[in-house]
Amino acid sequence: MTDFITIRNMTCNIGDHPILKDITLDFPGKGFVSLTGPNGSGKTTLGKVMTGILPFQSGQVSIDGKDIKSMSLAQIGRKIGYLFQNPDKQIFAPTVIEELSFGMKYKNISKDEIDKRTDQMLDTFDLRSIRDSTSYFLSQGEKQRLAIAAMLLNEPEFLILDEPTTGLDIKRKEDLSKYIDRISSKVGILMISHDKGFINRHSDRIIKLEEGCVVYDKRC
Amino acid sequence: MIRDADPRTKLFIVLCISTLGLFFTNPLMQLTVFILGLVTTFLFKASLISTIKRIRKMMSVIILIVILQSIFVKSGNVLIGTENFTIITDEGLKRGFGFLMRLLVILISGTIISTCSMRMLVQGLVQMKLPYDMAFMTSVGIRFLPLLMEEIKDTFTAIQLKGIDIKNLTLKKRFEIMSYIFTPVIAGTLNKAKKLSLSVECRGFRAYDSRTSIIYLKFNKGDYMILTIATLLSLSLILINIYVL
Repeated sequence: MTDFITIRNMTCNIGDHPILKDITLDFPGKGFVSLTGPNGSGKTTLGKVMTGILPFQSGQVSIDGKDIKSMSLAQIGRKIGYLFQNPDKQIFAPTVIEELSFGMKYKNISKDEIDKRTDQMLDTFDLRSIRDSTSYFLSQGEKQRLAIAAMLLNEPEFLILDEPTTGLDIKRKEDLSKYIDRISSKVGILMISHDKGFINRHSDRIIKLEEGCVVYDKRC
Repeated sequence: MIRDADPRTKLFIVLCISTLGLFFTNPLMQLTVFILGLVTTFLFKASLISTIKRIRKMMSVIILIVILQSIFVKSGNVLIGTENFTIITDEGLKRGFGFLMRLLVILISGTIISTCSMRMLVQGLVQMKLPYDMAFMTSVGIRFLPLLMEEIKDTFTAIQLKGIDIKNLTLKKRFEIMSYIFTPVIAGTLNKAKKLSLSVECRGFRAYDSRTSIIYLKFNKGDYMILTIATLLSLSLILINIYVL
């Protein structure tokens, strides 16, 4: 299988502090990879570097064969869907339905198509009852579901999910699990998580980071 | 260098510089206040460069406002223009220059204040008999500013990560996007303020009528000297502005 994201000898510092040290990893365009490790080991930083949110100092990161440094955030966003650890950071439309349709609206997709796709997501992520609610004042779990649904509606080729199960109850976690089962054969997924149950259920591969270095990389 | 001056001394200097900067309309006096402010910034070892770096993205807007200020004032003698069409007058140029000087004076004032730690600044305000609640609110407000900037940046990133190339949008759509950037920031601020007020109440804020503090600020000889020089200089500038110019 060809690799969708490749990282070669990548080093990332924040200020003078080294966060990621000489990372070399490949991620295929399909399957489920879990990224785990203790707090402060560099998991979120790695996710942010892979989406171009954070710059890196040396090495190379490529998406679909193209150097990430030559791509704009919008170009990366069309290929990779990134779920922030804190959903507040990526919810910006005033209502749930507007948040879901936001990306499609600016890509000149027809209204009928937008309605059809958002309708489907409202059911999948149990958002129908809060369809017209103000998105900024939802509960943490509702925000998390909304952020995931809005990201998936963008139809990215690869997903980076930073702690997607945080704030989800058992039923909602199960719904997310089923959805991941459905899409993981079509898109690549990298999940940053401490949720052992979720990791064991879905992972094709588990990577562990410690103090900015890959200490474990095993295919399941 | 006098980086360790009392926060109240710095507040007094900032008060002098900003008041004079706003009060003077004569370009020569405005320039004098700006130069004095600049000297003070260096004396206090304040990092003006980092302030400039922080506002560099706004530079084009500032320059545009200065130009607009200069162009839209039609009174005074025409410097550039034809018989029927005036582009720049001396009064317009004076207003544009005044705006720029005032803005720079405000930046300098902010830079000087930024050399005080927040805790010391609050203590300074409290010892100046400002009610603790207000001093605390001021310090929280100042601490919120970088967070707001970060939130604006995050929202901007999140919008782009939805595959939207803001640079390639029409002007109308770009303005529309702006509302998507600022609305969550305002809503987020309200949310944070609510959580913060609950949190401080839970930790016994205003549980007693008076507060004690482990830190107590005291003026030293250097502070008295700076305060005297600042007062004399400010008075001299006011007198020169009234009687000489």
